[in-house]
Order: sequence, then C-alpha cells, then structure tokens
Amino acid sequence: MVSPRVVRNLKKEFRRSALAKVGLVLVVGVLLVAVFAPFVAPHNPTEQDLDGKQLPPIGFSKTVEETSSELVDGEVRTVTETTRIEADPQHPLGTDPLGRDMLSRIVYGARTSLLVGVLGTVLAAAVGVPVGLIAGYKSGRVDDALMRFADVSLAFPSLVLAVALIGLWGRAAVELPDPFVSAGLAPGMPATFTLPGTVIVVVGIVNWVWFARVARGEALSIRTEEYVKAARALGGSDRGILLSHVLPNAITPIIVLGTVQIAAIILLESALSFLGFSGTTLSWGFDIAQGRDYISSGQWWIAGIPGFAIMLSVIGVNLLGDWLRDALDPDIEGEGGG
Amino acid sequence: MSLDDSRVDRRDLLKYAGAASAAVLAGCTGDGGDGGSGGDDGSGSDGDSGDGGDGGSGGDEEGEQLSDVNVGVTMGQMDSGLDPHDHAETNTDIIVSQAYEGLMGREPDGTIVAALATEWERVEAGTARFTLRDGVTFHNGDELTAEDARYSIRRIELEEVGGALPQAGDLVGAGSLDGVEAGDGEVTVGFAGLNPIVFQLFATNGQVMQQSWVEENDTDFINRNVNGTGPFQLAEYDSGNEVVVERYRDYWDGPAEVASVTLNASSESSTRVNRLLAEESDVVTNVPPQEVSRVEESEVASINPVPSTRVIFLQMRYDVEPFTSQEFRQALNYAVDNAGIVESVLNGFGASSGQPTLEQFTGYSPDVEPYPHDPERAEELVEQSGFAGAEIELQTPIGRYLKDVEIAQAAASQIDSLSNVSCELNQREFSALVQDITTGEIEDKPAFNLLGWGNGEFDATQTIIPLMTSDGALTILKNDEVDAMVAEAQNEADPQAREQLLQDLNAFLHDLAPWVFMHQQFSVYGVSGEIEWEPRADEIIDPYRARPQ
Amino acid sequence: MSVARFVTKRVVQGVGVVWGVVTVVFALRFVTPGSPVNAVAPLDASQETRRAIAVELGLDQPLYVQYLQYVGDLLRGDMGFSYVRGQDVARLVFLKLPATVELAVAATVLAIAISIPLGVLSATRRNQPADYLATLFSLGGISTPNFWLGIMMILVLAVQLGLFQTSGRGVGFPGVLAAVVGPEPFLDTLLSWLSYITLPAIALGTYFTALITRLTRSGMLDELGEAYVQATRAKGLPETLVRYKHALRNTLIPVITVLGLQLGTLIGGAVITEAVFSWPGLGTLVIQSINLRDWPVLQGCLVIIGTSFVVVNIVVDTLYAHLDPGVVYD
Repeated sequence: MVSPRVVRNLKKEFRRSALAKVGLVLVVGVLLVAVFAPFVAPHNPTEQDLDGKQLPPIGFSKTVEETSSELVDGEVRTVTETTRIEADPQHPLGTDPLGRDMLSRIVYGARTSLLVGVLGTVLAAAVGVPVGLIAGYKSGRVDDALMRFADVSLAFPSLVLAVALIGLWGRAAVELPDPFVSAGLAPGMPATFTLPGTVIVVVGIVNWVWFARVARGEALSIRTEEYVKAARALGGSDRGILLSHVLPNAITPIIVLGTVQIAAIILLESALSFLGFSGTTLSWGFDIAQGRDYISSGQWWIAGIPGFAIMLSVIGVNLLGDWLRDALDPDIEGEGGG
Repeated sequence: MSLDDSRVDRRDLLKYAGAASAAVLAGCTGDGGDGGSGGDDGSGSDGDSGDGGDGGSGGDEEGEQLSDVNVGVTMGQMDSGLDPHDHAETNTDIIVSQAYEGLMGREPDGTIVAALATEWERVEAGTARFTLRDGVTFHNGDELTAEDARYSIRRIELEEVGGALPQAGDLVGAGSLDGVEAGDGEVTVGFAGLNPIVFQLFATNGQVMQQSWVEENDTDFINRNVNGTGPFQLAEYDSGNEVVVERYRDYWDGPAEVASVTLNASSESSTRVNRLLAEESDVVTNVPPQEVSRVEESEVASINPVPSTRVIFLQMRYDVEPFTSQEFRQALNYAVDNAGIVESVLNGFGASSGQPTLEQFTGYSPDVEPYPHDPERAEELVEQSGFAGAEIELQTPIGRYLKDVEIAQAAASQIDSLSNVSCELNQREFSALVQDITTGEIEDKPAFNLLGWGNGEFDATQTIIPLMTSDGALTILKNDEVDAMVAEAQNEADPQAREQLLQDLNAFLHDLAPWVFMHQQFSVYGVSGEIEWEPRADEIIDPYRARPQ
Repeated sequence: MSVARFVTKRVVQGVGVVWGVVTVVFALRFVTPGSPVNAVAPLDASQETRRAIAVELGLDQPLYVQYLQYVGDLLRGDMGFSYVRGQDVARLVFLKLPATVELAVAATVLAIAISIPLGVLSATRRNQPADYLATLFSLGGISTPNFWLGIMMILVLAVQLGLFQTSGRGVGFPGVLAAVVGPEPFLDTLLSWLSYITLPAIALGTYFTALITRLTRSGMLDELGEAYVQATRAKGLPETLVRYKHALRNTLIPVITVLGLQLGTLIGGAVITEAVFSWPGLGTLVIQSINLRDWPVLQGCLVIIGTSFVVVNIVVDTLYAHLDPGVVYD
C-alpha cells in the first residue's frame, strides 16, 4: 500500500511539479471552506433581503435603466428610470435575485459539491471495487457475467441515466444538523445542511462500473503472480487472499481513479442541479440555473461566479489526480470520466 | 383552456357548479416568467381587430396583395399534441387556436363575438341554440356542418364519444349535457340547470372538429395533424420543438395578413428575450421585469404589457388553527404590504387586489379596496383572535408564477415581522405542491400557500366556485353563506341582479378573508417592431390580427 | 482471426448488450413508486385510460409474458404510445435522432481537428510557451461545466457581439445537403448552418478537445522517446514525417480507445448542451419527457441512446483493429 517508496515518489513529483502545488492549494482551500462554511460565510446563505437584491460585486457598481409600470385606466404604462446601483462591502461578491449573499452561497455550495463528489465516489468504489476484484480473481463465468453487465451499464450515459432515475424516483434530500451551529459556535447560520441523497445514490450507481473495471484488471494481472499462487497453495481462503494480497496491489490505481471520479462527479452534480434534479438549493449548478435569466440583463455574477467556483475546484482535483498518477504511475486505461 | 402541465383532472373540479372553469393554475410553466393572460381592458384594441379581416377580404381572389411575412412566436413551452380537445394547457391552446375555432369567440379584450355561429340564444332555461355560419370550410375543403358542431360538443362532454377528455365539463358542466341536436344549420344544446354563463363558456371553449376526419383517423394522426376552420393551416409539425402554420386562403373572415406563423418555445426567459432581440422571433411571452429595459432600449422590439386574468393570493385553510379565526386571517391581510410588493418585486407589473375577482370580470365589486398595509392593526387583530405567538409556515411554488418565490418571501417576512406571529417559508416544487392542493380531501391540503389562478371566462364564479365553495375541488373553505350566495347567483337569470349578487359575494369574501389577497398579475409580451399586434386578455396569441409594419 | 470475423463477433456481442439495455429499460418501469401504470399514464388520466394502459402493458399477464411482449413490440419498431402527447413514441424518438447525431459528430470533428495538432505541437515544444498554453487550455477544458460555457458563449458571442444564433438548429445539416442540389443558395445556407451549430459544438466539444489534447501530448512524448522512432530518424527521414507517421499512429490507438469509452460522456453532454441551446434533439426530448412525466418517450430515448452507444463502439473497435495491425482479436 503506502510504502516509503510511494511517499518518496509523491514528494519527488510534488517538488518537481508546480501544478501539483497549485492543485493541492486549491483542493485544501476548497476543503477548508467546505468544512468550516459556517465560519467562512459572512452571512446566512439562505437569508433573503429584497431591498438589497442583485447588488453587484465590489468594483462593479453601475448605472442601470429600470423600467416599472403602473395601471392607468386599465392600460399599462411603463416608465424607465436611470438608477445607480452601488456595490455593498457587506456583500463582496454581490447578491442574487432574492438578495442572498453570493459569497456565502459559494461557500456553502462547496460543501454540496465536495460531499456529493466524495460520497458519490466512495459509494461507487464500495460497490465497484469488491465486484471487480472478485470477478477478476475468480475469472471465468463470474468475470464474463460482470463484464457483460458492465457493458450494458456503460451504454447508458451517466447524466442520462441519472436524470432518468431521479425523474422516476423523485429527489429525496436528507437534512443533516450542522455540528458547528448545534454547538452554538456559529449563530445565525443554517442549523441544518441539505444532503441531496438521491443524487449521491444515483451518481454512485452510474459510476461504480469504472471502479469495477479497474479493480478487475488489477485482480486479473495479480492472480497469476507467484506469491498469490503460493498463498493459494498454502490453503489461504479466497477472501483472505483478496484482502491481504490483491486489494493492496490494486489500491494505487483505484485511488487515482477515485480522484478523477471526484472531479467527474462534481461536474455531474452541477449538471444535475442546473437541470433542476438535485434536492438542494445550495449548489453551484442550481445558482447557475437561477442566474441564467439575469445574465443578459447585466447581472452576470449570479451565474458567472458559481461557474468559476466549479472550474477552480475541478481544476484543483484534476491537478491532484495528475500528481498522484505521475508519482504512482499506475497504468490506467482512459480517464474514467462520467 | 388550461390548468397547466400538471394536468389535474378538471372534471372533479367543476362538479359543484355544473359549469366549467377555464381556470389556469399556472399557464405557461417553465421558469419564473409564467404569465397570466392578457386582460386588456379593451379601450384601444377594438378598432384594430376589425380591420384585420377587412384588409384581407380585399385581396381575396389571387392574394397578390397578401404579404409573405412570417411571424415567429416564442412561448414558455410547446404543445402536448395537436388534438384541440385533449389537453388542458395554455401553450397547446395557443397553438391549436391558430387552426381551430369555437362557435363563439372573444375579442382581445374578452368581449364575446360571433365565430362559427352567427347567432345564439337561450331557447329556454336549459337549452341554448346556435345558428351556424354559412360557407365555412375545413382546411381539407369540406364544408362545416351542424353535425360536426354537434359531434365536437359531444366529443368534449361525453366519455362514450371522445373517451375521458380533460375538457369535459368546459361547455355545460360535467355530466350536465342533456342531448345535442343538429339540423338546418342549427345546433341545439340541452343541459341541466340554468347555467347563467353558458355563452361565456362557449365563447372560451369548444373548438369544432370535423366528425368524419376524427373518426377516420387514429389518435396519433390527430395529434400530429390539423383540420380546422381557423385562419391558419398546419405546414410543419416537429413535436416539442416547432410548429409552423400557414395562411388558410379560404378563411371565412378573409385570409390573414401574415403568410405564416412559426411557434416555438423556451422555458428560459432570457432565451426568449434573446430570440426577440436577435430578430429570430416577433412575439415572446412573459418578459421578466429585469429584462424589460433591455427590450425597451433595443431598436428592434418593445414591451407590450396587459393586465392578465390571473390573480395571485395566499390561501388559508379554514379548518386549521390559527386560520380558523377571521380576525387572524384579516390580520395577515393588514400585515402584508401587497401594493409595496407589486412595486418592489414586480416593478409595478401587477395590480394589488382585495377580492378574488378581477376588475374586468363580471361580479367585481368596485366598492372594495385592497387591505391597507397596517402592521399595528394586524397585531391588534392577532391579539383579538387569541392566536398571539402563532407559528405558521407559508408554502410557495418555485418559478411557476412571475417572481413567486420573491413575492412569498416578502409576504412571509412581513408577517414574520409582526411582534406576535412568526412565519417561515417553505419553497416547493410546483408539481409536488399542486398535487397536495388538488387532492380531493381538504385535510391533505397545505394550511397556507401561495397560488395563482387564471379565469378565462371573465366571471367571478369561475374563481370562487372551484376555490371557495364546499364542493370545489381546490377549495380551502366551507362556508354555508358563501355556498348559498353562489347558488343564488347561479340560479339568477337576470344578468343585472346576478351581477349585484356577485358583487355582494365579493364584498363578503373581502371581509371573510379566506385568502391574503395579493395582486393581479400582468402579462408582459415582447413584440418586434416588424409587426403591429395587441396582446389579448385570455393568454391566446392571435397572429391573425397582427399586421406587418 | 480475420478482421471480418472480429467484426462479426463484435456485432454478436453488441446484440447481446442491446438486449441487456432493453431489459434494463423494461425493468425501469418497476422502479417508479406504485403501479407501473403510473410510469406511463399522465397524471390526469382517467380510470378508463389507466385500465387500458394496464391491459396494453399486459399487467394482467405473468411477468415473462409482459417482457416478451415488450421485446416483441420493440423488434417490430413499436416503442409504445405517449399518452401525454397522444403520439407514437417511435416516430417522436427517431425524428429527434438526426439532430443529436449532427451535434455529436460536429463536436467530435471539432475536437479532433483542434486537439491532435495541439497535442502534437505541445509535445514537440515541450516546456515552451506553446506547451504551457496548451496544457492550461486542456486543464481548463476538462474542468469547465459545458452548460456554463454554453451560457457564457451565448452571452458574449451571440447576444453581445451578435456573431451567432442564440439557440435553435435552423435548417440543420440536411438543409445544407439539400442546398447542394436544390434552389437555395449554397453559401448562405452553409453560413446559416454554421451560425447555429458552432456554439453548441464548441460547448459540447471542449471537454473532448481538452481530453484528447492531453492524451495526444502524453502519448507523443512517450512515442517520441521510443527507440524505433530514433532509429527511423537515424535513417534520415524528415523529422515531421517521423512525428506523424509513426508516433502519431501509435498515439492514436489509446486516443480512440478513450473516445469509445467516453462516448457516454459525449451523449450525456449532448443532453445538457441541447438544453442550453434549445437544440431540438434527443436530449431536449429526454428533459421534456421527464418534466411532462412522459415515461414511454423517456424509455424510447434510453433504448435508442443505449443502442447508438453500442453501434458506435463497434465502429470504434473496428477502426481500432484497422489502425493497430498488432491487435489481438480476442
């Protein structure tokens, strides 16, 4: 598993590659923001203020034409007025159409993205890895059956299958109490955090096959190794051999695949939220969908900033993945995207 | 007409009245830009509309004077098939009404006019007779007969003719049809009860199809093809994407001035506005307030708003504490600054209201003013009600009505700011909320929620019956006095006496306050400078009346 | 094993996978809460309609009969009936297929046309500015949500600069073909087509452009280090020829493998790209069907998408076999 050689390689590659450093900084940054969201966010991300809606980010104060109307003798008259909208230092990234603080929403959106990315990946790996290992190790019929099932599974694009499943099941969400808020450390912040349960299960279901393929490949190549043969000859149980010999050898490519998967699932989650299929309203994709109708009228930040947030986090995770892959150099087929 | 894409079974909704409602829970759907219907009070548009036909009749013969202008229309959502009787959505209605017509029709302002029938009369209490127009042809060239009209009425109302169609009850009331006779260019319709608004119903509903065409073709074909009598015939049908109709030269009222109409849809208001400004479309629906100035500033298009037939309100279940108390319900009406919400959230694209009936409807009480914004009075009333300290939750759909979430948010926070009531907001998917609301049992409905209701018949009863009478399918109120007043009005044959009864009913409802009265929504259309066109009161878009500039 | 036999074998396997796809889609109707009728009937369907649907689905029959009936109908080209739209599913779905294929092909062509030269350039100019730019581009490309990219391009390139259409498909590629023989002016039609398809193709293609650029770059770097390339170079062939003829050929093999594997991402991406650009294809139909609860159409789309995936993969595998003479046809 994590041998001293692996650590050495990781360090060496990290020193060599500037991009790896950038990746680590981005990922750790997003992680900290997500975990400590109640402390980082300046406002409650769901708190609405209609008098302070659509405020621009600092540095983008502007003059706009506003049209209003009134009813005169049963006919609608419109009046256009020029008003100046000043940015508010209280809202460094501006506010959305309901006057909610964009910065706070970005901060909480990081929680949703990372939680779905990590939990979805863990779920996919928890299903895919054992199935793949067993299939590769047992070979023969079990393997054939698995590979055919994997083929069928791959024939449904993740996004299409996810949308279909969520459409059929409905979108369930789990309300998790926020530990910091319940401990009284962050007054005024949302007491619960909405975990989009269906989305996590669905991305797990649609992505497990990538893990199964990689695990199978590793198991296939390892099962013919001398030490595995020896362990078997000595009467080791299949279960024991899988756990003590096969899994440790397969772990490196699985970790690298996992990183790539997190990036893919963050993108998938944002797409699902954008299409309205998530169960939470604190999501970058959801904000892009909300802000979409305001871009062309000049309020670009509502959809623009969440897009940058997605891009930066996914870049971070991808750079981390590149670092791990270059350092550990597993032979992974393709990029295993979603 | 339309309930919306949630497609609630409308027959249930109407059993009490025995009269249909063209109620629109949420017309166009899609994003926030859900429109009401146009409710133009009518000053102004009458002159134009007459001319449309005249201009056409001049160039009847060869059509050399007819333009080759195509009008593009972008709505919120496409049709659900082209069968004019098998739908309950505004968007489908907009599309099929290019090609199909009823016996009677409406001017843009809602005034009833002759269409396929030239005359109509109530022969006796439960019988109406229509005299058909001569020389009307279907798009396939066949002449319209009284049998076709009879068949269409029966197809809509009778399950044994048309299967269970969602418009059943729209003409005479569910299960009320009592024989239709055709002959001699006349159709005679019998129905149970008095049904004082039977002609209002026929003016809004009941498009006529050709009997033989329907019987000879299967459902799939009827939903992809069109054979009506209207001003446009189908040229191209790409389901879910685009419908193109072209001028029907033999239209009885003269060929349309525009050569063809392309109808498509986008649920994103920005996409609709972009299409308008890129001159890809000539009429777009539901321009949201934040986009209005962008359209006004452009050189290619302008904004054309009209009061719609949709009312927005917060309904309170009469049987759930604290809403059992009239004082409490009135208190919420004083607490919510509906005029202020119209001003700040809708940029004035709405008119605050104080009764369930809109100004241009039969039965509107001119003596009733909206509740003033008076938080102190509200707090007093809450004290009197005995529910001081009440905690309530307001449910709102997300993105079904123009700025619904913002409106609900503002209302909830104004209620919450009362010293003795706390109010939370629960934002819900429209489809989930509407399922709760349309459930038959009042016990399963939300206690307090925002809703919008469109009424294409322009009659007070078509809002009050489904929403506020004991047997209304969507009701949140069981009140013997209201039921009695409605019943009295529905059995009053004299229009003026009936009008007075309905006005009294509206004044009574203002005081009873089963709703927090909010506002009348405006429909905001974006219209290209290339055409001259006035929006209608009933959400329908009629390029037949459009003229190239 | 000959190429012909290899292809035959893949086709047989493909039929098996399609059968699996059909079975999964059949099973989906039992995923929905309550009776499978709920998955087919519109919300406002009457009891009579529901009964008719139950009979049509064969719900009164044993499960295997329902299944055989479903498969049998599909084989006859009958994908069922959409009660929401009142139309046959098969026609609806097949009419939308060309638009999606058009978009996917345009995106792939665009991706390959940009990425392979870019990857080669990047590899041959390693650690030079061009390489850094290409690396940054490809990093951004695989990390940007395509729907967001699409929205931003609409804003800047279509709305503000007016260079492209904001949405829709226009006459489509068939329209361009028709203009070749028909009376329409060809150049105008072609330009009009480009004004519609360019932005969606970029939005959908960017991820693949970035991905293939990365693969080509790393593949070329590996290949350029290989001994035989050096040997060829020693023989005096011009360097460019070396790069392209040998290195690129070997580089393309993993690129094609990945393209095959990522085809699902392409189709999934098409769904959301179509939603952003109101492109009238299968993706738009899928989203509409879910919003309208039109499950028969959704199921039809899934069958078509799954089947297309299998067909394209067979084509890719054949191409693969053609490119790599050393491949073992197992």
